[in-house]
Amino acid sequence: MAVWVEIDLCNGCKRCVKVCPYGAMEIRDGKAHVLEHCTSCGACLEVCKEKAIQTDVEPRAIPDFNDRKGVWVFAEQRGATLNKVSLELLGKARELAGEIDQDVSALLLGYQVSGLCDTIMAYGADKVYLAEHKNLKEYRTNAYTNVVEELVNKYKPNILLMGATHIGRDLAPRVSRRVGVGLTADCTELTIDPEEGILLQTRPAFGGNVMATIANRYSRPQMATVRPGVMEALPKSRGKGSVIKHKVSLTEKDIGTKILEAVREKSKGVSLSDAKVIVAGGRGVGSQEGMKSLFSLAKVMGGEVAGTRIIVEEGWLPADRQVGQTGQTVRPEIYIACGISGAIQHRAGMLGSRYIIAINKDGRAPIFQVADWGIVGDLHEAVPAFTKALKDSMGK
Amino acid sequence: MLRSDPEKLIRKVMARFVDEEVIPVAREIDEKGEFPFDLFKKIADMGVLGIRYPKKVGGSGGNTTLYCIAMEELARGLLSLAAVTAMQCLMATNGLYLYGTKEMHEEYLRPALRGEKIGAFQLTEPEAGSDLSAVRTLATKASDGYVINGMKTWSTSGPYGDFHTVLCQTDPDKKLRGLMFFFIPTDTPGFSHSKKFETLGTRTSALSEIYFNNCHVPPEYMLGELGRGLDVLLTILAEIRIMTAALALGLHRAAMDDSIKYCKERVQFGKPIGKYQLIQAKIANMAVNLEAGRLMVDKVTHQIDNKISCLNEASMGKYFTVESACSATDEAMRIFGAYGYSMEYNVQRYYRDNRFLLYGGGTHEVLQTTIARQYLR
Amino acid sequence: MNIIVLIKQVPDTTDVKLDPKTGSLIREGVESIINPDDRHALEAAISLKKAEGGKVTVLSMGPPQTIDALSEAIGMGANEAILLSDSAFAGADTWSTSFTLGKSIEKIGGYDLIFCGRQAIDGDTAQIGPQVADYLHVPQVTYVFEIEKIQKKNIIVKKRLEDGYERVQCNLPALLTVIGELNVPRYPMVGRLIDACKEKSPIKIWNASDIGVQAKDVGLEGSFTQVIKTFAPKFKRQGEMLEGDAKKIAGTLVEKLKENKLI
Repeated sequence: MAVWVEIDLCNGCKRCVKVCPYGAMEIRDGKAHVLEHCTSCGACLEVCKEKAIQTDVEPRAIPDFNDRKGVWVFAEQRGATLNKVSLELLGKARELAGEIDQDVSALLLGYQVSGLCDTIMAYGADKVYLAEHKNLKEYRTNAYTNVVEELVNKYKPNILLMGATHIGRDLAPRVSRRVGVGLTADCTELTIDPEEGILLQTRPAFGGNVMATIANRYSRPQMATVRPGVMEALPKSRGKGSVIKHKVSLTEKDIGTKILEAVREKSKGVSLSDAKVIVAGGRGVGSQEGMKSLFSLAKVMGGEVAGTRIIVEEGWLPADRQVGQTGQTVRPEIYIACGISGAIQHRAGMLGSRYIIAINKDGRAPIFQVADWGIVGDLHEAVPAFTKALKDSMGK
Repeated sequence: MLRSDPEKLIRKVMARFVDEEVIPVAREIDEKGEFPFDLFKKIADMGVLGIRYPKKVGGSGGNTTLYCIAMEELARGLLSLAAVTAMQCLMATNGLYLYGTKEMHEEYLRPALRGEKIGAFQLTEPEAGSDLSAVRTLATKASDGYVINGMKTWSTSGPYGDFHTVLCQTDPDKKLRGLMFFFIPTDTPGFSHSKKFETLGTRTSALSEIYFNNCHVPPEYMLGELGRGLDVLLTILAEIRIMTAALALGLHRAAMDDSIKYCKERVQFGKPIGKYQLIQAKIANMAVNLEAGRLMVDKVTHQIDNKISCLNEASMGKYFTVESACSATDEAMRIFGAYGYSMEYNVQRYYRDNRFLLYGGGTHEVLQTTIARQYLR
Repeated sequence: MNIIVLIKQVPDTTDVKLDPKTGSLIREGVESIINPDDRHALEAAISLKKAEGGKVTVLSMGPPQTIDALSEAIGMGANEAILLSDSAFAGADTWSTSFTLGKSIEKIGGYDLIFCGRQAIDGDTAQIGPQVADYLHVPQVTYVFEIEKIQKKNIIVKKRLEDGYERVQCNLPALLTVIGELNVPRYPMVGRLIDACKEKSPIKIWNASDIGVQAKDVGLEGSFTQVIKTFAPKFKRQGEMLEGDAKKIAGTLVEKLKENKLI
């Protein structure tokens, strides 16, 4: 089972190199070569105009999924409060459902949570599958997996979306394995392929240096988890729909885990995901002392202070203030990056910002490539000057 | 059977250790000028100190090549730490390993390889540097062992070493043939030391004078057979020199890594200074010298591991890599311009530390003479 | 206590870039490392073994060079390691990877705990742990940051949430995915590393037939999802550089914010 190049036919056009999702094609001496890590996926075969790329791999048959209908959203709640990401997903689900002319449904699991159904419908669900049971009061992996499995098997949806939250990332893979489908994690973009009508799932890979678009042709539902803060919720409407109650029977024995205690630790201030303005510091801040001017600026602008991984590692900010790949994804109106070089790990968390202002000593810092306004200079001068100018303009 | 390459694997693990644990604190340690015992213990916990000894004495079962790879990586982070580590692995413990009794192994060698005791190697006296025949520290035979009197200077780890391997004269008439190494624990009555010397570089390792006033040691503390005392040194002389070369490679790389990073960042006349040919020439020279030095070190360490005598090649390796590192650290200072002169950047430390390598493991004047002698005799 | 640890060797993502001309991944000069979260999983397993006795077996699927990750794991103190390496495994999505790992764990057998890192830095999917747990029909706890107590039939751990934590009791055998907060991973021992490189080191290499799977069920063929396109992220920004002294720039910036009705 392999892919190879008929060297005589190859004209070295590089189309295959560009299209290979695995970077397994290379041009050597003007001819394409298949590298060791080729997975025989066949992407190159389709683009080769010279028909120089050949394979002995049999094309895989795509099963018929015409009976699979509906875009589902897992409505995540904790303590009968809906997670914002579920509303964002409903917004996206409406858009996707519109393109394939199907319904949007939400799955609501919990105990005494039926009060949330109206909100869910107001944000775009045509139907809510409601499963209430004492053993669903707190999120527990097996309990929730069992119920979602029953619903999926009974109603056979086409698409199932969950938030890439701690719950979603615990539940989605377990469900996908249970119902026998593929799953794409942490998507930042979802579209419907106009020809095949399948869900195209785009997500960052390799720490955000690469974007990958993934298709799930061979199983249903097409499952994806989506990053919180990436999709937009629809404005609340006076939606109406139907609630379908699902009868649950669950015993402790089925579940295997018990929550002995749940501790909520309050984070101080507004959460970064809700902040309109974020003043963020990076290595260039230099010290705990250096953070002070950032706080002053944030105060004047009514914003929050955040930082890169370095800042958090140095202990200059608590861990819940970290923006980036290993921290939070934020989308404020204004993001002011102070002394941040803008490594891709950081950029991944702040690219959704409406406007980006960058202050850095190094004029070649990658942060300037994503900035709306850039200032090459010492942040310890620029930030206080900007703070003062703002105060003056506001007449404070 | 598919297996990892030990040389690559050890280098990778040591490199990560240096990047994560040493480099972030190196400047602070150097400024304080105190030996980083906690870091030394971490190195010991990885079994690095026993890297060239067999497992039966508490070692890690490696060889000279792996030893030099580990020392090179450490030197990339902090030369003074690497130098003390390198001494612990080799000069400070090899005589004890070869000639010490089982009891001495239990009491000193194993704890030393665990990093619990620090050893040192003492040759130099005020009147005896390169000329060992001038050593005057006297070991006099007594009824139940030896009595040591005299002093040593430039004693690495003098102020905090737990035991010392000390070159002494047993019979001044016999000159070089009378020289013997003695094992002298610091808690031997009559042992004392001076204050730590103020030095230009390698500021975290402590140099001092040490004094022996009627230090009484048992007969088994004389290392080796009477009359063949210099074997303790000669069996490892090539290894000492090539280890010093490995330290130079590490320092060279540190200077080069910082220079490359800086000349990509620093913009003058609208472009990064790395785009200017005179800066490129410096980088090219650093790279070429590094590559040549690495080949020399690699060849010699493998020769030592295969028991092929290679003292002359080792001397050449030490001479070449240290001179190259001198040049690289100097050029790094120039690439950094005035910032190189500032204590805020690390290149000044590389420049200062580099001087240490010129003396440790033999002065270059002596090395050049011995190398030339191989061709002129 | 018999513990299995699942680890992955990943490219150090800080180094991975796309070739701007061809759009393909530049892999040259990229170091391979043990996935950071997996190092914490290894540490958890090894320290638990030291406290409770038993054995740690490390399992990894990947190309032949993954041997280095396993040698390092042995260096840290794992008793045995198994490398799942076969060209048939290439191109696997998480569905087919969890199948391959699950099959291998069944072959190893007799385990009380399975540790995984929360997620790998090259894919960030965080799927393998839960999928393997489901394949094996064992309960899971993800985001574990503290192991409180190990008892005969269960384990008590703390699980991180976005806004706090839960203390969870989980029946054994179980699968735990751990986060960095859990511990500080030890460095490998040089002596163990050297031994890991020897012919008789406790590292086994298994291929598809060793675990009794057919090529059609693993790798790309056994996958439900496929990467159909990769591309470099694109940004559209105004990209205006403000010049002058600090005061002048500050003034200009305030004007810009006003123009865009931001203040």
